[in-house]
Amino acid sequence: MIDFIQMIVSGVATGSTYALMGLAMVIIYKTSEVPNFAQGEMALVTSYFAMMLLTTMNMSVYLAFFLSFVFAAILGAFLEFAVLRRAKEPNVLGMIVITIGIEMIILGFVSWKFGAEQKTMPFPIGPYDGFIIYDIYISKLDVLTLVSALFFMIVLFLFFKFSKLGLAMKATQQNSVAAQIVGIRTNRIMMMTWGISSLVGATAGLLISPTIMHPFMMWDPMLKGFAAAVMGGMTSLPGAVIAAYMLGIIENLFGGYISIEFKTVVAFVIIVLVLCIKPSGLFARHYIKKV
Amino acid sequence: MKKRLLFILFVSLTFMLSFTPGLLAEEGVTDTEIHIGAWGPQTGPGAAWGAVPRGTRDYFKWINANGGINGRKLVFHMFDDGYNPAKTKAGVKELQEGTGIFAWAGGVGTSPGLAVKDYLAKKSIPWVGPATGSMEFVNPPQKTLFAVYPLYEGEAKALVNYAIETMGKKRIAIAYQNDGYGKNGLRGALASLKSHGMEAVAQVPFEAKDSDLKPHIMKLKQAKPDMVLVWLTPSQAAKVVGISRAMKFNPQFMSVSTCSDFIFMNYITKGAWEGVITGTFGEVPDSKLPLMAKYKEEIFDKYAAKEERWGIFYYAGILFVEPMIEGLKNAGSDLTREKFITAMENIKGFKGIGPEVNYTPYKKGDIYSRQGTSETFLVQCLKGGKTKRLTGLMDTK
Amino acid sequence: MDMKRDYFEDVQLFTSPVVVFWFAFLIGSLYLLPFFVSNYYIYVANYIAINIIVATGLNLLVGYTGQISLGHAGFFAIGAYGTTVLMVKAGLPFLLALPGAALIAACFGFLLGLPALRLEGPYLAIATLGFGLTITQVIGRIELFGGRDGIHVPDINIGSWIIDTDKEFYFLLITLTIFLLWFMRNLIKTRMGRAFIAIRDADIAAETMGVNIVFYKTLAFAISAFYAGIAGGMYAFVLKFIEPEIFTLLMSILFLAMVVVGGLGSMMGSIAGATLLCWLDLKLRNILDIPYVGEWLKNLSENWFSLTGVSNIQYIIFGSIMVGIMLFEPLGLYGIWIRTKKYWRTWPF
Repeated sequence: MIDFIQMIVSGVATGSTYALMGLAMVIIYKTSEVPNFAQGEMALVTSYFAMMLLTTMNMSVYLAFFLSFVFAAILGAFLEFAVLRRAKEPNVLGMIVITIGIEMIILGFVSWKFGAEQKTMPFPIGPYDGFIIYDIYISKLDVLTLVSALFFMIVLFLFFKFSKLGLAMKATQQNSVAAQIVGIRTNRIMMMTWGISSLVGATAGLLISPTIMHPFMMWDPMLKGFAAAVMGGMTSLPGAVIAAYMLGIIENLFGGYISIEFKTVVAFVIIVLVLCIKPSGLFARHYIKKV
Repeated sequence: MKKRLLFILFVSLTFMLSFTPGLLAEEGVTDTEIHIGAWGPQTGPGAAWGAVPRGTRDYFKWINANGGINGRKLVFHMFDDGYNPAKTKAGVKELQEGTGIFAWAGGVGTSPGLAVKDYLAKKSIPWVGPATGSMEFVNPPQKTLFAVYPLYEGEAKALVNYAIETMGKKRIAIAYQNDGYGKNGLRGALASLKSHGMEAVAQVPFEAKDSDLKPHIMKLKQAKPDMVLVWLTPSQAAKVVGISRAMKFNPQFMSVSTCSDFIFMNYITKGAWEGVITGTFGEVPDSKLPLMAKYKEEIFDKYAAKEERWGIFYYAGILFVEPMIEGLKNAGSDLTREKFITAMENIKGFKGIGPEVNYTPYKKGDIYSRQGTSETFLVQCLKGGKTKRLTGLMDTK
Repeated sequence: MDMKRDYFEDVQLFTSPVVVFWFAFLIGSLYLLPFFVSNYYIYVANYIAINIIVATGLNLLVGYTGQISLGHAGFFAIGAYGTTVLMVKAGLPFLLALPGAALIAACFGFLLGLPALRLEGPYLAIATLGFGLTITQVIGRIELFGGRDGIHVPDINIGSWIIDTDKEFYFLLITLTIFLLWFMRNLIKTRMGRAFIAIRDADIAAETMGVNIVFYKTLAFAISAFYAGIAGGMYAFVLKFIEPEIFTLLMSILFLAMVVVGGLGSMMGSIAGATLLCWLDLKLRNILDIPYVGEWLKNLSENWFSLTGVSNIQYIIFGSIMVGIMLFEPLGLYGIWIRTKKYWRTWPF
């Protein structure tokens, strides 16, 4: 029983990282219909930026993290402005290729600048600090990740539902021409979306870094986050979060009770099964395409 | 329209493919130079291993600065293969057939190495010190391939033997990376357990790309072991030990020589590595051995890039090729491959910064005619990444 | 000049004797090539030819049928493992093992095509990506296939002809490549090819016109997987040793990049894209040896970046090519070629 609860707890912890990445991808997909494969590397470069501020400039953690968030937001907005907006005749495949290209460029720069060797980020909460309640281990860093994931989900949900800017973002996604006609600057909206998304993703990266950093650390969380976003329906914020927690818990239970070897890929098998039944994911309305 | 397209394609193809460099008289050796080649991933997920050929490169620079070998300078050709065997093979062929390489030194990785092993063997090109402890390179032994890296299997055996015999551990679990590297360690550990009439209480495979390791640790914990052998890459091993300790799961951890760089491991685990026992084949980074200190001062401080770290991968690049330099020196000034191989076979009791190296004339089926090292010793990590030597040299044959 | 007057003109392979001549010349020179260049370049040509086969197959799926696949390394792995295992464990001759393995890959392609009937865009991307990751995991589990330790690949033998040099392998591979390209070209020019294109442009409209979507979409996946399977089978003989870790996600991405960089829906594009990217992949490791540029990069690394990571510039170049092509010429190298041609034909106007 203890083991079972511990697995659920670990699953929730893992799911929180996936949830942050998933949220970041959903935000972008919601407004611009771009499946952003560069999300992980955008978080990666932010994490290394924070690392640089902390170690070579000896800044305090709070200042370094604040500056990193600013950096992340600017990076996201810049990529939208400089690259994505310039695409001619955008379609999904083209966007996938562009974002994979951006991913490789960022990965190249990070590895070039910081090298391949593993590092660990100084952080007030150690990666192995935690509580033990009734034999169940809860890591403090995981709690922080969970809190940030839920915080972002709620804030973003309210933001899209009630704020003027959020509504404008929704309008941009549903019909950008009509949105322009009613006076929404869709370009600016897109830039802001990318900035916000980059910030959310960067949170995941920054919370992974205190354990171990290396240039490929974001691949697994990014793919799983993407998987969660797809499972949740790609446009639904709570959907992505719920799916992320489901994946995290299923992975842990599957690893614990069925097969540890296939733990990494079980998420993708589940995705395919879910998509066979609900092609647009669990929580999205299925739009019937017209000819 | 089509004809022009085809024509251009053809012209570009011929243009690209039409460089045919000439060969040297004695391949890879001139009056003033000896050409040596190596590969290692500088990019991609395996790039941490890239320090190995960089160490070799700086070591060769040092040798050249000290007069070279029998009046010849070493010319070192290293290339990045990104741990992709197809690229390794391409690079080896390009250098071998273009520049002409006398012998290959180091060479990181099991699958990149196996991709070129037969090619080099067929051409009878010497290869010294593949940077991997896999059995594949010496079993069956090959006349031109001299292995320096102690076998993973032997090291795992030594660790498990020590745990059972000296520490009296009863329940042993194994966490291994699910590939050739991990499987070699697993085999050694299981063989040792079997010889003691025991079985592993858990064998948990880890995927190299996995980032969430808690399920694996749960598996280990459920088996209630009193010793866990962690046969993983440094970053995963660090996570496993760190998280286990945080979960108050505190068996004796033992690990592979890849993770025996205690200063580094202590840094990335933020201190959780304390108490871990590893096998090691070389010296530790802060070793007091005069030769190590000399290397650090004269090679690392002088030639290494400023981001380089005096870590185990870097000086392993030196360790793997020390016997080669010895062989080249002994082969005399009239250097041929045959003479070099004979000189290598005559290496007895050679001691650099690694374990003692011995080769014997080639005999079919005799692994240790080409596996030069079989000694390992165990060390324990103390507070602050300091090293405590636990055993003397142990023969793992 | 390019006007087609009847159906026959549209489907014929050669439009004029001149084309026949040049085509024969090209094929002839491809066969004579090994007698003029060094062994290394034959190896490179083999590597490129294998990637051309995959890119052509993937182009049918991505460029002509409008689907997405981020899992082609999976089919590639099935081909490689299938051929090896059929030869080593089942004792089949090479000539049966290679198509056999490719057929197995095609079956998997068909299976993956089934969920793809209902999926598109990011949903299809993640499903195929998952397939690519899962398949290597499964292969690694099967001890018969050598498990994670990998498996050694024997020499090819056809009758008494044992192929153990790059040169001989080249002749076999180039014959295979030409045959597969010819087959693909014919396939695209027939009713089937038009059905694929119709699905890409508007699948619902195509269905109302009587195109059997279930059949053609799964067929596209199957054929594409078949090509990847053949290529994978040949790749096993290039490496001589295979293990599951070789077939990574990065490989799938590279295949997709070849098709997109070359130009979607163009065979010439696939050939050019595969050639360019493979060439760069093999050549970029020497980037520091280029005169002036290398020096400049070294200085730049020393002052601003790190010398130990300087090789990672190849990622930056690859990424830039992918982004640049999509931004400035969505039709890829083929689009650039068409534009250049148009420009010169009307020059100086």
